[in-house]
Amino acid sequence: MFRVVLYGQWKWSRIVVILGSVAGFALPILSVQGATSDPQRAMKAGELLSVIRSWGVLYPVLAAAIGLLIAIATWTPDHRGRHVLALSLPLPRWRYVLLRFTAGLVLLVPTMLGVLAGALLASATATLPPGLETYPVALAIRFALALAVAYAVFFAISAGTTRTAGIILGLIGTVIVVQVVASTAGIELDLTSPVQAVVMNWPGPLAIFTGRWMLIDV
Amino acid sequence: MSEHVFQDASPQAPSGGFEPPKTSRRSRRLLNSLPAALAAVLVAVAPLAGQIPALRARADSLLMQWREAQQFADLQDSLRLGRERGGRDTIRVGALVFLVNRSPLPLREAAATAWPQIERFYGPAAQAFAQRPFLIQAVDPDTNEDVPPGRAIKILWNTEVAPLARALVAMADLGPLDPALHDWLGGVVVPRFDSGPGHAAVYIQLVTAPSQAAQRCYRGDRAACRDALSLSAMTDPASQWYGPAERRALVLTQYGDFLRRTSHGLAVRSCEQGSDESCLELLRSLGTLIPPLDYQARLTFLETAVRVGGAETFQRFLAAPAGPMGGRLAAAARVSEDSLIAQWRTDVLAARPTPVSLPVLGAWVALGWIVVFGTCGLRSSRWRVS
Repeated sequence: MFRVVLYGQWKWSRIVVILGSVAGFALPILSVQGATSDPQRAMKAGELLSVIRSWGVLYPVLAAAIGLLIAIATWTPDHRGRHVLALSLPLPRWRYVLLRFTAGLVLLVPTMLGVLAGALLASATATLPPGLETYPVALAIRFALALAVAYAVFFAISAGTTRTAGIILGLIGTVIVVQVVASTAGIELDLTSPVQAVVMNWPGPLAIFTGRWMLIDV
Repeated sequence: MSEHVFQDASPQAPSGGFEPPKTSRRSRRLLNSLPAALAAVLVAVAPLAGQIPALRARADSLLMQWREAQQFADLQDSLRLGRERGGRDTIRVGALVFLVNRSPLPLREAAATAWPQIERFYGPAAQAFAQRPFLIQAVDPDTNEDVPPGRAIKILWNTEVAPLARALVAMADLGPLDPALHDWLGGVVVPRFDSGPGHAAVYIQLVTAPSQAAQRCYRGDRAACRDALSLSAMTDPASQWYGPAERRALVLTQYGDFLRRTSHGLAVRSCEQGSDESCLELLRSLGTLIPPLDYQARLTFLETAVRVGGAETFQRFLAAPAGPMGGRLAAAARVSEDSLIAQWRTDVLAARPTPVSLPVLGAWVALGWIVVFGTCGLRSSRWRVS
């Protein structure tokens, strides 16, 4: 059963999986172009860290994008078929969703491996100034976790009904509207900062996306 | 206390002779049509001409009232300022003396927290603060009034004890007692020992500074550390701090615009084409260069000296005869200069920052969130039949 579900999801999401893997493999390699033994192109330590920091922004973006696309692709066949197949299967609902979720997680693996392979290759070929080191495994683990979190978040949203999505959007909208009204009225009320702190700081759900993503660091 | 200065907004003619520009045919045509346009404007505003004296009288009256209001406001300001200056309390904690206006600011509690740290750093030299009172102006946080000018240190009176204590420590600067220390440091002496983040910042500087002295210091060359920190007499910083490629980069990126503007364009071009002599000459002509390791690095070195030498180090340092800073600090700490440099370098290398900012439990937390959101997906309301 799992293989059937996995095959179905692969057919719907293979382009995303392939593109994500290629991008994940290329990103670390492109980011270390300044770490070369060629004196004409070799960057100083400070410049190299600055470039690596700039490229590092793309890791969480890639994780979020691939997580979103795979999560959407996971549910697309069901949405298109109006869930007829799912309802006709002799399976409890939770088990069917678990199969979908697990199949989606499996489809994230190529992108995770792409980043790991790219980071290892980039680390092996880079010539670093003294004092700098590469962290391919730590970066790849972090990327894998961020990708899985993004996928889980968007999977949960996609699995919900329009009503659930409406409630979530309504809550977010209410916070924003209350904040705007309070600011306009001159009332000292800061709702967005605590919410942001809860979500983006450890142990918040999106904390894995924040901070520095450095393949090369001191 | 603000001064309102009215300025004539009309454009001023240049003070030198004014020569009208040569007019083109089109502009001459425009000038020819100007009298007709002026006549049209005069015809249009003629009915208003009779009201001008009345309008002017009203404007004058408004101006008079504004001036009166301004005088009252100034009087109010000066009365308030006098009251603030007159009603100051004196607070003494250890050798620290504060002159502060009456307010809920928890100054005594904060000073009681700060004083032991200050005394631990400066030792007996901290008694000098008894002769250097701090003038503090506690400011109401809920007002939009301008803070009165003056030398007083302005602090919001709702500041809590811990941040206020940190601020008091940062203000406790005995650097001015020794102008050479003040010049070398390039900032205030902050009497603190727990500068983990400071050492980490210096670690990054050692690795990333575009200076051969800093990089050799990182690799363990103590003489290079001495140069990078300017601990010995710096006869030629351009060659002691920087290598040929770094000098060229420095000339072209940091000082290029300035040097070209000051008629050094040829030398800059020569430096750009690879003449190290030209780069050296240009950097030497500047007099002062950007040091490879900044204030933070020097402050951590001072901190290391005080920690190694004990409580009386600063007192001994102030009493030491003038000379290179490395020798004075080492003598005050009662160790050799090489030992002091080695200790500082060890402290800095030990504070290497964490490279990947994923907490130890971060992976477990992320896995937990994956399970939570996955469960939310399992429990979603789609297909639920009511």
